[in-house]
Amino acid sequence: MTPGPVTVPDVAPPGPWSFPLPVSWQEDNGLTVHHYRIPGQHVLACRLGLPVPLSAEPEDREGVALLLTRCLDEGTTRRSAEDLAEELERRGIALGAGAGERGIVASLDVVGHHLGDALALLTECLAEASYPEPEVARQVRTRLADIAHELADPAGRAAREFQRTYFHPADRASRPAGGSRETVAAVTPAAVRDFHAQVVHPRGAVLVVAGDLPAEEVRDLVGTTLGRWQAPAGAAERPQPDPGRRAEDAARIVVVDRPDSVQAQLHLGAPGPGRDHPLGWGTFQVLSFALGGSPTARVDRVLREERGYTYGIRAGFRPRRRGGQFLATGAVRGDAAVPALEELLSVLEVEPEELTQEELRHSADFLARTAPGRYATADVVADEALGLAMEELPLDFVTRTVERVRSLEAEDARRAWAAHRPGDWTMVLVGDLTDRVDELAALGRGPVQVVPVGQ
Amino acid sequence: MPLSYPIRSRTLDNGLRVVVSEDHLVPTVTVNIWVDVGSRHEQAGATGLAHLFEHLMFQGSENVAEGEHFSRIMSAGGQLNATTWFDRTAYFATVPTGALELVLWLEADRHRRLLPAVTQANLDNQRDVVKEEKRQRYDNQPYGTAVTDLIGLVFPEGHPYHHPTIGSMADLDAATLPQVHAFYRRHYHPGATVIGIVGDVDPEQAFTLVERHFGDWEPAARAVPPPAEPLPPLADRPREEHSERVPTERLYVGFRLPVAHTPEFTAASVALDALGGLTVSRLHRTLVRRRDLATGCSAAAMGLVGGSSLGFVGVDVAEGVNPDEVEEVLDEELARFADEGPTELELAASLADTERSWLEATGAQEERADLLSHFTLLHDDPHYLNQHLDDIAAVRPADVRRAAAHWLRPEQRATVAYRHGVGPGQEGAA
Repeated sequence: MTPGPVTVPDVAPPGPWSFPLPVSWQEDNGLTVHHYRIPGQHVLACRLGLPVPLSAEPEDREGVALLLTRCLDEGTTRRSAEDLAEELERRGIALGAGAGERGIVASLDVVGHHLGDALALLTECLAEASYPEPEVARQVRTRLADIAHELADPAGRAAREFQRTYFHPADRASRPAGGSRETVAAVTPAAVRDFHAQVVHPRGAVLVVAGDLPAEEVRDLVGTTLGRWQAPAGAAERPQPDPGRRAEDAARIVVVDRPDSVQAQLHLGAPGPGRDHPLGWGTFQVLSFALGGSPTARVDRVLREERGYTYGIRAGFRPRRRGGQFLATGAVRGDAAVPALEELLSVLEVEPEELTQEELRHSADFLARTAPGRYATADVVADEALGLAMEELPLDFVTRTVERVRSLEAEDARRAWAAHRPGDWTMVLVGDLTDRVDELAALGRGPVQVVPVGQ
Repeated sequence: MPLSYPIRSRTLDNGLRVVVSEDHLVPTVTVNIWVDVGSRHEQAGATGLAHLFEHLMFQGSENVAEGEHFSRIMSAGGQLNATTWFDRTAYFATVPTGALELVLWLEADRHRRLLPAVTQANLDNQRDVVKEEKRQRYDNQPYGTAVTDLIGLVFPEGHPYHHPTIGSMADLDAATLPQVHAFYRRHYHPGATVIGIVGDVDPEQAFTLVERHFGDWEPAARAVPPPAEPLPPLADRPREEHSERVPTERLYVGFRLPVAHTPEFTAASVALDALGGLTVSRLHRTLVRRRDLATGCSAAAMGLVGGSSLGFVGVDVAEGVNPDEVEEVLDEELARFADEGPTELELAASLADTERSWLEATGAQEERADLLSHFTLLHDDPHYLNQHLDDIAAVRPADVRRAAAHWLRPEQRATVAYRHGVGPGQEGAA
């Protein structure tokens, strides 16, 4: 057979690219609006962010913010939960909401001609949610079931233990964002209504609308809906978030004893820079990608492709609302947990001078050149823009980060690694590992504690 | 809304099908290749091979070193991956416009000239990786084997859909290098392959490039297709119970459905949506909202080409509720639906939900390419991309009722039930 051409084809370099800039305005009630016109995107993505820190929750009712978002469309002063579901689903409107470190986010994904109705319904939910007793009680029960599912999943159980070990016990970040079993079970309709009255108002809120609809039309539709949303009497200034500081004894190893597990789930972390770091977030994106961002990155080249220990481990710098972390997470074969952990640490603590020009260039090329494809759809643009707004980052942040990535010199990346190379790890292992405690202690990475899976 | 994405297709002399949708809004191109090999093509005692190839295809080929496929595409600014399913294996990459020919060259090398790189060492290593994939996704998760158990009940022993795509680890261990090579020769050839290309490309240029890299690929005889006799609905309510440490009790319910891409399948899929796929659906209203018997429920149809498809209903039983009661209510609702058909609201909501999700999917270049390859390989009907919403809108309540009465009656369900127990499962708390 003729084998076809064997010369590798040339690749024409891609042209310049920048993240779109929105048309922006502010409504009289304090709501900031950013509109991104994206041709061909017939489903509009709307994201509304309220800068409500989780530290605003009463400590014995943690999870109330997430429950509030779950109950937002479970009844208003005008409509029952079933009526609201009908109004939304007749129009194919996907309304979602959640709460996390950045605040409360509500989202609408809707075909263009239903945008007005969707915004009107969202406004009704925000301004007039009534939190009926049976619906709140049901959502509490559902959240308790969700918590049970999260913790039965080894990755979820590891994340929970990591949070508890890494963060200072006085800091909100040390406790589950969605609350614990005890605090969720204590949430009543009155607690949700009180929290709503305090924090759900348009002052400081940001709305992003992305999709194929002209700005004038969006301006009209927003103006007659969310633009008329008024802060209830008694709405307070929202408090500042906790700093997310680390526990003093965080550099240690915790083994969660999960008998009969065939794998060990690893969750490792150390302090890292935030997205506002002066060296440019792009620098840390490149380092992350080279170390643990793909099957060809250093971690999986060794642990997956050479050793066959894992289906895949991801590692890299992860930003938080302020500051950040270096995290490595994944599952490895149970009987190889300790050697796999040792190999992982040796990859993640690579000397700066060992980082090659080639791998850094490869990572930078990937990150810079995939940007047009990664930001091609309305939902992704809206999510990113809202994230920037809520972290008070400039709206050209993505463009500047891609520029930083494109122009990054290997020497700059090595210097950044030298200054921010992770160490003093917090390490959580979930698995059938109680007979490996001595080996783990012998690593010299801090004391080893064993906790039962059901704690 | 009516869709009018441009679609051009061409079949090369060797039988390879190419389908192109031009779209210059973003300077990227997606290449999505569907190969007519999935777990349904596997023989008893040799399961898991289709999926194993999804791994081996990234380990190098005659002119491409191990890791080079990933690294070349990624350096050019591409994102890539592959997936295996019952009916097919898919390989896809989205790259900046200028890297289109690189992708086609790399794909040609591995689709045509893989075997020099399929060595014993590569086979052994990727077997280990697949075992970790199975442990991670199936064995170390609560309910991890539910879907495997469910298809085992819905499709009889020896049926092409009886086993999961991950396959049996014992079969993988037993696979020899010559057997693995023979599997590739049998299933990877031009007549079994569709190349979908969507994005910033002129269709004629796309056809020329595919011709350059795949035109002299020699055709092969098509493998004998696996049996595809339609199965009648289940009649004996097959059931499997797990008593283990699970976070909450759960029901996985399966049905046989008509083969994909038929009006009967479309009606059955609307029926499942109306029954349990939406918040206004009756199962959700009854089980979750009005009677507090469940914390969640879902329903969906999975279209398959091998004679029969799969229908699915899942219920998360509320704490303290007897799952037997949930099953009784489920049966009442199934029976009522089969008699009455959907309400006006259930049907309207299903249509509206499908419209939004279809516009989201087709509005994303990668997903549009995947749908084009799908409809071309499995149904020889690429234009269905533009037609699907019209088909859904044409479904009448009587069609849905008829489909439910034929396929979704209480006695026709298979059930995998998870009950609280002290078995080997996993429970966490904190």
